Amino acid sequence: MSTVLQLKNITKTYGDMRALSGIDLALPGDAYISLLGPSGSGKTTLLRVIAGFEHPDGGAILFDGKRIDTVAPHQRGIGFVFQNFALFPHLSVAQNIAFGLENRDVDPVTDRRVVDARVRDIISLVGLSGLEGRAVTQISGGQRQRVALARTLVTEPRMVLLDEPLGALDANLRARMRAELRAIRERCGVTFLHVTGSEAEALAMGDTVLVLESGRIAQSADSDTVYNRPASPAVARFLNCYNLFPGRIEGGTFVGGVGRFALGSGAPTRAASPAYAIRYDRVAVRPREAATAEDEIRIEANFVASEYSGAAVNSFFALDDGRVFEVESHLSHAAPETYAEQGRYALVWKREDALVYA
Amino acid sequence: MSMMAVAEQTETEPVVEKKSPGKALWLLAPGVIWMSLFLVLPMLMMVYVSFWTQTTFTIEPTLTLKSWVTFFTSDTYLGALWTTVRIWLIVLVATVLVGYPAALFVGLFVKNKALQTVLLVLCVIPFWTSFLIRVLAWRPMLGKEGAINMILMNFGITDAPIEVLLFSELSVIIGMTQIYCVFMVGPIAFMLGRIDTSIIEAAQDLGAGFWRIFRTIILPLSMPGVVVGAIFVSVMVLGEFATSAALSGRKVNLLGNIIVTQVGSLKWAFAAVAGVVLTILMGAVVAALLRVVDLRKEL
Repeated sequence: MSTVLQLKNITKTYGDMRALSGIDLALPGDAYISLLGPSGSGKTTLLRVIAGFEHPDGGAILFDGKRIDTVAPHQRGIGFVFQNFALFPHLSVAQNIAFGLENRDVDPVTDRRVVDARVRDIISLVGLSGLEGRAVTQISGGQRQRVALARTLVTEPRMVLLDEPLGALDANLRARMRAELRAIRERCGVTFLHVTGSEAEALAMGDTVLVLESGRIAQSADSDTVYNRPASPAVARFLNCYNLFPGRIEGGTFVGGVGRFALGSGAPTRAASPAYAIRYDRVAVRPREAATAEDEIRIEANFVASEYSGAAVNSFFALDDGRVFEVESHLSHAAPETYAEQGRYALVWKREDALVYA
Repeated sequence: MSMMAVAEQTETEPVVEKKSPGKALWLLAPGVIWMSLFLVLPMLMMVYVSFWTQTTFTIEPTLTLKSWVTFFTSDTYLGALWTTVRIWLIVLVATVLVGYPAALFVGLFVKNKALQTVLLVLCVIPFWTSFLIRVLAWRPMLGKEGAINMILMNFGITDAPIEVLLFSELSVIIGMTQIYCVFMVGPIAFMLGRIDTSIIEAAQDLGAGFWRIFRTIILPLSMPGVVVGAIFVSVMVLGEFATSAALSGRKVNLLGNIIVTQVGSLKWAFAAVAGVVLTILMGAVVAALLRVVDLRKEL
């Protein structure tokens, strides 16, 4: 796969705040890439720098092998889908979609019939047939999302940037649009860079998932790797499915706030600060007196509350040092157990299941 | 069981009386009374008086078309009507030409909301003095020995003072444009300020350059502001008399000036005819401007 976009050591600061501190990135052509980051991690800034709405303080941006840092946004040929869709309120659906073809500086389409034909094609591609003449204020949120996408795709950009494109939709529609966005992208064969703050969305959609953490790319890998092998404690924390313990490594054990955990056979992952991570769904809750196997780690905690989410139950326990420990039990494995409030339980996991950072 | 319970509950629910919408209409009463007494009634009176019989010093309520015929056959009155329309159009175009770029700068290019407000308040500073002082202050500016002529002559740009600057149609247009420009800037800046920046960025991203974006996005979205500004300016300029009286040296007679002189010489019927003509003209202008943009959609 050829590289379509390359960023070299991109930096951007606002006053004293470093929004981007040295981003290195190479994005392949014809791929769905999700960019995951907590709010304030610089993901929107990164997108705006690529589109040209913001100028980087340093570094280089190469698009199709050519430097574009100094090229004006309207001459970059990169599509941008805004979170609020940014549709032109005084134009109809069809006029919104035709805008780029008719009004662009570079190679505008002047033949009315060509414009109409291309608008018609893209309207059927995104599933908006029958709404051509409607005002954009008279259509639903999901339909506006499609207009925004169609308006960008019709100009045939080599790459499309999507800034939290599903953020303004309700949950039901969001799930449906996920599949549809992927399908539309495959039909167009361009690279989508999809920014999101939702780990589930990033994992579900991206062929490659980039995790942005305090203005740096913390991890760049496929969904499975990001989920099962987060590159740093920060990534693990952001995935929202790991219990994390700070501490230090001494000999063959990890020393944390609630005790010593024997380490598994794998070498610890290198990280800025040592940490021990165990996924919510890798932990078993047992009565205090239950036996522990040779390869298991055991701690004790008090049950606080549980949260039912349909396919799973998340139970929250208070550790002796005051931290909250979360356990996820999938209901397809076993019937939900009820725990006594403030009851003391043993939390057990396999040594090999833990991730250790040193 | 539960079905029964639901049925019982609905039965015991108290019947809520529908509020009659008539009660809310009372809110309109003060406005309606005030406007009927002091606007509608005087206007009807004006139309009525325009058909009264006017002699040199008296006026009698005997209905006649004489004043109307005199108005539409006299060169003075028709000339005043034409001058009013001409000056209105020139001032309207001038306020748009001066006001729109200023509004564009304030509403679109100044990102800081506080600075935006400061700049708009600056536009209103001339209004801190009275209308008449503002008008009369043009005399030492534009006069033969006024500031502009002195500067031009001192720099050797002109040899003799430019006389057309004061007591001419030009001075009336300069004065009116300055006074009424702010009524154009305000509404346009307001509409421009409401345009979401991401809409302009989206147009940029789709490949359009600045002028294209201005023509296809910014201008259409700011049109309601232009129309509201134009209505303000039109209504005020069409009814003007003070600026032309003070700055034209009686060379420019607007319908407003005609009304003032007629009332001054107790020619109530003629004044009423001019008043009715002016009111119809304003109504037509406002109606035409409202056809340009559907304001109901914007407000």
